Amino acid sequence: MHKIVNSLLALLALTTFSLSAAEFKLPAYEKLVLENGLTLYLMEQKEVPLIDAIVTVKAGAVQDEKAGQAEMTANALLLGSGELSRAEFEQHLDFVGANINAGGGMEASQVAASFASKDEDKVLKMLADALLHPVFDEQEIRAYQQRHLAALQQAQESPKAVIGNYFNALLFAEHPYATEQSGNIASVKTMQVTDLKGFYDKWYRPDNTAISIVGDFDSDKMISKIKALFGQWQGQTEDFVLPLAEVKADKARVLLVDKPDARESTYIIGGPGIARSNPDYVALQVINTILGGRFTSWLNDELRVNTGLTYGARSSFQPYQKGGSFSIYTFTQTDKTKEAIDLTLKTYARLWQQGIDKETLDSAKAYVKGQFPPKYETSGELAGLLSGMFIYGYDEAFINDFSDNVNALDVDKAKSLVGQYFPQQHLQMVVVGNAEALRPVVSEYGELIETKIDTQQISL
Amino acid sequence: MKSILMLCLVLLLATPAAKATEAKDIQQFTLENGMQILVLEDDSIPNANMYLFWKVGSRNEYPGITGLSHFFEHMMFNGSEKYGPKMFDRTMEAAGGANNAYTTENLTVYTDWFPADALELIFDLEADRIANLDINAEVVESERGVVASERSTGLENSNFRTLHEEVKGVAFRAHPYSWPVIGHDSDIANWTLEDLRQYHKTYYAPNNAVVVIAGAVKFDEVKKLARAYFEPIPAQPEPRNIHTKEPEQKGERRTYVHKESVTSPNLMMAFHIPPTGHQDYYALQMLGEILAKGNSSRLKQALVFEQKLATNVMSYIPESFDANLFYLYAIATPGTSAEALEQGLVEQIKLVIEQGVSEQELQKVKNSQLVSFYREMQTINGKANTIGTYQVYFGDYRELFDLPAELEKVSAADIQRVAKTYLRKANSTVGILDNKEDSYAQDR
Repeated sequence: MHKIVNSLLALLALTTFSLSAAEFKLPAYEKLVLENGLTLYLMEQKEVPLIDAIVTVKAGAVQDEKAGQAEMTANALLLGSGELSRAEFEQHLDFVGANINAGGGMEASQVAASFASKDEDKVLKMLADALLHPVFDEQEIRAYQQRHLAALQQAQESPKAVIGNYFNALLFAEHPYATEQSGNIASVKTMQVTDLKGFYDKWYRPDNTAISIVGDFDSDKMISKIKALFGQWQGQTEDFVLPLAEVKADKARVLLVDKPDARESTYIIGGPGIARSNPDYVALQVINTILGGRFTSWLNDELRVNTGLTYGARSSFQPYQKGGSFSIYTFTQTDKTKEAIDLTLKTYARLWQQGIDKETLDSAKAYVKGQFPPKYETSGELAGLLSGMFIYGYDEAFINDFSDNVNALDVDKAKSLVGQYFPQQHLQMVVVGNAEALRPVVSEYGELIETKIDTQQISL
Repeated sequence: MKSILMLCLVLLLATPAAKATEAKDIQQFTLENGMQILVLEDDSIPNANMYLFWKVGSRNEYPGITGLSHFFEHMMFNGSEKYGPKMFDRTMEAAGGANNAYTTENLTVYTDWFPADALELIFDLEADRIANLDINAEVVESERGVVASERSTGLENSNFRTLHEEVKGVAFRAHPYSWPVIGHDSDIANWTLEDLRQYHKTYYAPNNAVVVIAGAVKFDEVKKLARAYFEPIPAQPEPRNIHTKEPEQKGERRTYVHKESVTSPNLMMAFHIPPTGHQDYYALQMLGEILAKGNSSRLKQALVFEQKLATNVMSYIPESFDANLFYLYAIATPGTSAEALEQGLVEQIKLVIEQGVSEQELQKVKNSQLVSFYREMQTINGKANTIGTYQVYFGDYRELFDLPAELEKVSAADIQRVAKTYLRKANSTVGILDNKEDSYAQDR
């Protein structure tokens, strides 16, 4: 692969962020709320005979009593439901080429189905069964638990798979945003069927849930079908108030995660970010494009193109409802670590020392607008966007006004936003690599904390 | 990443519905210099793309210059006559475009994604680097570091890559598929500017390319621009023929890789199979899916859910100009030995060879391939990549639209026959990745 930076923007689009071009508007969609409180989003897209349906429940890792509870609960829904065992459920879906995936995110859980439109009745019925009539079979859940534990262990083999968890733990400390979304080995080992069932009973309620359906269907008929399948679902969700995310960044700290056989150092440098509802959200994405959001970004240019220290360097904001993080991510061979970190910090400092000129800003504005439409091309991507509206409360203006918001950014505004939002002091750093080799190098950058990559849980 | 990327392409063996793209929607012409151009008008978004498929990959290399095709992929971004160093990316991004590229054993593919009104600029940028690439010594040195980092981070973060490299090296002793696409470290460190110049002249010749443009463009406009920008680039003599054939394997081969941080054994089995386009191609693809696609597939059902020997299993069959490999890859559950996992996997292969597959399994594969085709045809990028891939490997993109008929021809007996023919021990290479050093029993 020539470069890795493009995947970053795709990721951002999948979570909460989008980019717009003047000529690109969100296709028409309907939003309605059923009598039981269930929210329904419908958007017809007829280019190919496919449908994507995403069930979104506002319950994620932030509601975990044991780390991994939301993630495991969502997955348990696919382990047998209604009349069907897990194996029968999977056979039926596989036979028609349908996919169903479930997972728990930071602030919501989702079950997503993708299928041929001719199988609409069959798959929607199965989706409803999964959501409303899960069996929580002890034996299936125990087997899943073992597979999940193995997956957590396997993730520890790959620095890039786990480094984000360490960064969240370092940055958010006691706040729920520090939770490992997939859980950790210690917490998953203690998970009981009652933990999953309890999480389900508490949070999986119609007034806490939205179904986003995009693809080749007729909206009127779809509404009737959804009412028939989900209309009887009853219950109310209790209030959940998440505190604002206070970030622990009173001094520079370095978390060194030991992986003795590592051949390279993988690192994140960052600090507090912004909430998803921040009015400067779009403008900050444009500025970040210049710093580390595209191939010609300052970070990638210095660390990859000019010096060959790494295969790719990037930066990003990760926004949540009550706060967020900003981070720079890259990797380099072990004996180049100091050189790479120094160059990363020096390049980052250009935001304040040199600032952003008009030509660079214009290029970034054109880039984010030009790369926007392909991010909402498939029914799955559009269903994801509608689900994001449910979780974070934005509406189509976010897409339709995007170009205007991008165009409104000028050099002066950019300068003031850099000063306001990009963390400059007390940077927090995580380095995964060979601790023996790295200890003297990385301890220069802040108060050193050490741990090992193969621990049962992150404990700082 | 080249091997993972190709996975999605093996699934596209199905027919379009009335509303989806059809063969007649694609228009084609060949420039006087031999460059083939395919165009798909598609106004679903105000964007377009250009995919350039160059018929050069690691199979065109030889010891001493292994990895050069992939390195060249990087060099194509590093400056040419009109658009000097860094200007290819800077110019494209300032116009709202983005790009990437990938290299496989057989191909190097460049992808440009842009607002449709930037079409002429994209032609200008591509024509400049095809005709007038500037291979600069200083830039080559920096780029060596980038590729070394790419190689290193792949081995650091992906067990699949680590094992794949070793298995290929054992399965092929003559054919250039033997070495990893990214090349050997010592070759990355040592190829010369002259190697690069010769490679560019030979392989980045218009007669060695297939170009696909899809999106909010007009055929006549594309044709006009292609003639203006690409046609003046001279054709070159046909590249040397790759005539090496891997000698028939006469018995099982094995390899072992030690990596301290691996938490449970990884197993890869590879079997020699004929190239894409061979009469057994479809049956082999379908066998791969029956074995490992979806939780109801044979290997997942048996090894993951029933016997709990594996946490995951996959199959992988690259599209290929020359005879290549059918791969099975499994990760053991904690506490399961590589031997037990291998035995479990071999038993499943044996079941297919002895008892065949059911009509239901056959139908499932056909259904699944149809839906996969639609998923790929949802985007202009999926369309361009798929159309180009079929043009290159089958010599005609229309093959993509003939596939339902090809699939219908495959019977359960054919699946059993190809399993019996190719998934034999004497035709296999077994690779194990584990955290213990390989040692004699008395040393343990």
